[in-house]
Amino acid sequence: MNPTENNSICPNVVDASCRVPLLALFGGAALWLVLGLVLGIAAMLSFHKPDLFADCPFLTYGHASAAANDLLLYGFAIPAALGVMLWIFARLSQSPLALPIVPVVAAHLWHVGVLVGTISIFLGNSTGHTWLEYPRGASVLLFAAFMLVAVSCVATMGFRVNRELYPSHWFLFAALLWFGWSYATANLFLIGHHPPRGVVQAVIDWWLTNNLLFVWLALAGVGIAFYLLPKIAGKPLASSGYALFAFLTLVFFGAWVGIPPGAPVPAWLPTVSAFAALLSVGPVVAIAIVTWKTVGGANVSCQGGPFCFIKFGMLSFVVSSLLYLGEFCPHYSCVVGLTWFNAGVTQWQLLGFAGMILCGGIYEILPRVMNRELPFAKLARVNFFLFAGGTLLFVIPLLIGGVEQGWKLSDAAVPFADTGAVALKFLRISTTGQLLVLIGALCLLLNILVMTIQWKLGLVKGAIAAVTAPLTTSEVKS
Amino acid sequence: MKTGFSVFLAALVAFGASWLGLVYGPLQQLGGAKETTVLQSGDKWPAQRTGAATLGLQVYQGNGCAACHTEQVHQTGAANVISITDLGSHKAADLRDFITSLMVVPELMNCSNAVTGNLAGWNGELPKVLYCGAQDTVVSLLGDKLKAVGVKTEPRVIATGADIARGWGTRQSVAADYLYDSPVPLGSLRAGPDLAAIGVRAPDLNWQLEHLYAPRSVVKDSTMPAFRYLFTVQKVGASPAPDALVLPREFAPADGYEVVPTAEARQLAAYLVSLKNNVPLYEAPFTPITAAK
Amino acid sequence: MSDETKPCCSSGNGEPTATRSAAPMWIIVVTLVLLFAGALFLDSHSGWFDKNVYAPYQSATQLESFQPKSGAAAALARGKGVYESVCGICHGSDGLGKPGQAPALAGSEWVTTKGFDRLAHIPLAGVAGAIQVQGKDWNLNMAAMGAALPDDDLAAVLTYIRVSWGNKASAVTGDDIKKIRSEMGKTSSAYSAEQLKAMPE
Repeated sequence: MNPTENNSICPNVVDASCRVPLLALFGGAALWLVLGLVLGIAAMLSFHKPDLFADCPFLTYGHASAAANDLLLYGFAIPAALGVMLWIFARLSQSPLALPIVPVVAAHLWHVGVLVGTISIFLGNSTGHTWLEYPRGASVLLFAAFMLVAVSCVATMGFRVNRELYPSHWFLFAALLWFGWSYATANLFLIGHHPPRGVVQAVIDWWLTNNLLFVWLALAGVGIAFYLLPKIAGKPLASSGYALFAFLTLVFFGAWVGIPPGAPVPAWLPTVSAFAALLSVGPVVAIAIVTWKTVGGANVSCQGGPFCFIKFGMLSFVVSSLLYLGEFCPHYSCVVGLTWFNAGVTQWQLLGFAGMILCGGIYEILPRVMNRELPFAKLARVNFFLFAGGTLLFVIPLLIGGVEQGWKLSDAAVPFADTGAVALKFLRISTTGQLLVLIGALCLLLNILVMTIQWKLGLVKGAIAAVTAPLTTSEVKS
Repeated sequence: MKTGFSVFLAALVAFGASWLGLVYGPLQQLGGAKETTVLQSGDKWPAQRTGAATLGLQVYQGNGCAACHTEQVHQTGAANVISITDLGSHKAADLRDFITSLMVVPELMNCSNAVTGNLAGWNGELPKVLYCGAQDTVVSLLGDKLKAVGVKTEPRVIATGADIARGWGTRQSVAADYLYDSPVPLGSLRAGPDLAAIGVRAPDLNWQLEHLYAPRSVVKDSTMPAFRYLFTVQKVGASPAPDALVLPREFAPADGYEVVPTAEARQLAAYLVSLKNNVPLYEAPFTPITAAK
Repeated sequence: MSDETKPCCSSGNGEPTATRSAAPMWIIVVTLVLLFAGALFLDSHSGWFDKNVYAPYQSATQLESFQPKSGAAAALARGKGVYESVCGICHGSDGLGKPGQAPALAGSEWVTTKGFDRLAHIPLAGVAGAIQVQGKDWNLNMAAMGAALPDDDLAAVLTYIRVSWGNKASAVTGDDIKKIRSEMGKTSSAYSAEQLKAMPE
């Protein structure tokens, strides 16, 4: 279909072209989300009852937490974001998805890569680099799959009717580039054949972690929010000037953050990161202003619908990013460095920001793409409250516990056992929050699964109907 | 940003800058590092690990120990210290007056409060810390002036910080400590104590093995999970195995059985025992205290 | 597209638009101020990209001021270094000597003398002939291993052997060695045990 012939491709056509790729991406993402949360809870059980997995090498904290974290990022966040991005690119281009078979293949490659990587971690073959534990084979699969989806996205963007770029284009196009470049660099240097000696590996690992968890999630999440918020609110996106400022400062300054203060590297590295963290407050503030202005005065009540998800997600972005950037200030890291605080901030970024925005996106997009209502719309609303309450209950005790732990750690007179004990109280509340988030994730999985089954049944019914329909007279051979 | 190409260009420049600064820069500066020498000594640092300890690093990494333990000692300050070690022929009270009289010297005026505060109530017990601060000129000046009157002093450099005070190391960890590690298990959470110098604190292989099998048998309030799968519980043969663990009764296996470490456990213990950082380096100086035993 | 139930709609189908506005000036000014503040921070804390400067040290000169310069511990480290490269080959890193090569220094009555005069002569000139050390008889030749060492290094190594491995004796300074060397003069043939015993300790 040549898009220039028909200036107004029907949105239903555009939506329908995304159907199979999105189902493949979203279905796997929801499954990995549930598995990641289950493993996360299993990991925390090691703290509540230390000897639970004494005879079972698979579920030790080191395995379970690494696998859980990677499942949340690589299993859930990235494929879900790619799915939403595909749809947004198609819609913004007002043209059907280019090369629709490519993202379908890519989705399957991606999920196989995640499966291989997760199993490798459990078998003890983790690479030892945080957020890069998947061994080389799995990494290659993930990279190839990502590139395939990116090609489809960029081709779709190339076919756009309205040649002017919308702010989401900047963020999402940059996100496509950013993951590929960062992931390839980190894998080549760290899991290639000649990794550099010594502590440089840790520096590259920190650089990758920042590029994925801060810069990439921000580019993808904010790009998605800047499309969905005005769409749902029925208002234009406020102020492209702030958006441009946010985009440029995010990519230029945000990528230099990442080296923690006190690290065993020459002083210039953490200093440069602290400097960059200070400057990165700017884009966070600018994004907050754009969101506030876009959402403010919108006459849309959400009652647990996608609008709620995305608003909560943007609020989480602002809070979690400021907390994240604060970790790089030497004054604060004296207390919160190397404590549960870091874990809390990371989970807030993954679940509170990325998770909420992507879930809201899925609930907004899937009915349009499948051209049918959600099978359990009420569960979708309950999902919001479970996610919101559960995430807050999960991360806030981790943050407070981390600060308490940090205060005690920096006082040498306090015996080490007390620093762990003070955090344990908070970990108990935290695990309850994880359970709530897990139940919410099950609602998401249920919705997607049933919708997929209904669609496939519909296809089968349609095929049977077509075969058994009475023939028209014109088709009967005379 | 009007065109896709301009977005691509902006992203490329931003990414390239960050890559140059945080990947290429450190690679150039630290990537070709070679062994360094210990301060004021001919020893090389770091010492090469034994084969078992090198395999132990892989066991450490494969079991995800770095998820709960860090291997980086942090230091928040350093101090030049001078202490009196021998009074010579003087009495403590006379010496105190003499030192107080020195405080009018211009170079010593800044630290006079600190020094006189340290000397308050001193009854002559040795060694006595006179000054502990940043100025090395103060230390050398006081040392010279006291040597001239026959008093022996000892200048030292110490590292300060909560980790150092906890006994987790005598100085901070620096890049040279990790030269032979791949990957570097720095860790990011201190659910368990820092292990950068565990080989100095707990150099006994048996202690390490017992700690891995039943942490609460050697550290009372430990929250560390037991790693029993690194050991085999087997029936005692004709005579007990030479490397069977000696455990308190509540952690010991049933009568007639013994706990023997697997090769992995032994490698891990060898690795842990090899973790030391108690030598001074140019970038992390301190005065070591002991002579050879 | 067989299950389309909604009619196809016309163009202007609700894609969001962005309100055009110029980049806000106040935020750019704030960013420039933060850039300046950060540059000051970089200047004071980065050690100017020196690979030896680690936080909390803030500059190469400051790091230099914390290097241990003198004192007993430094001399000891230096003495150990000299010992390992010059004496330890024969006398052993653990000071226990090697049979057929050199007697032990740990617990040796020749080392732990109250004074160091006699001891200093040994590395300066060497030993030849039979000598008894800790009840064992030795009959080897020791070369003048310390003759080529500078005063401070020889003093450091003698101090080191006098305080290590359980030995407890006084330290030796470079000035002491200088005095002994000048007294010895040019004669530097190896001493015998009798000549050594005749010297004051």
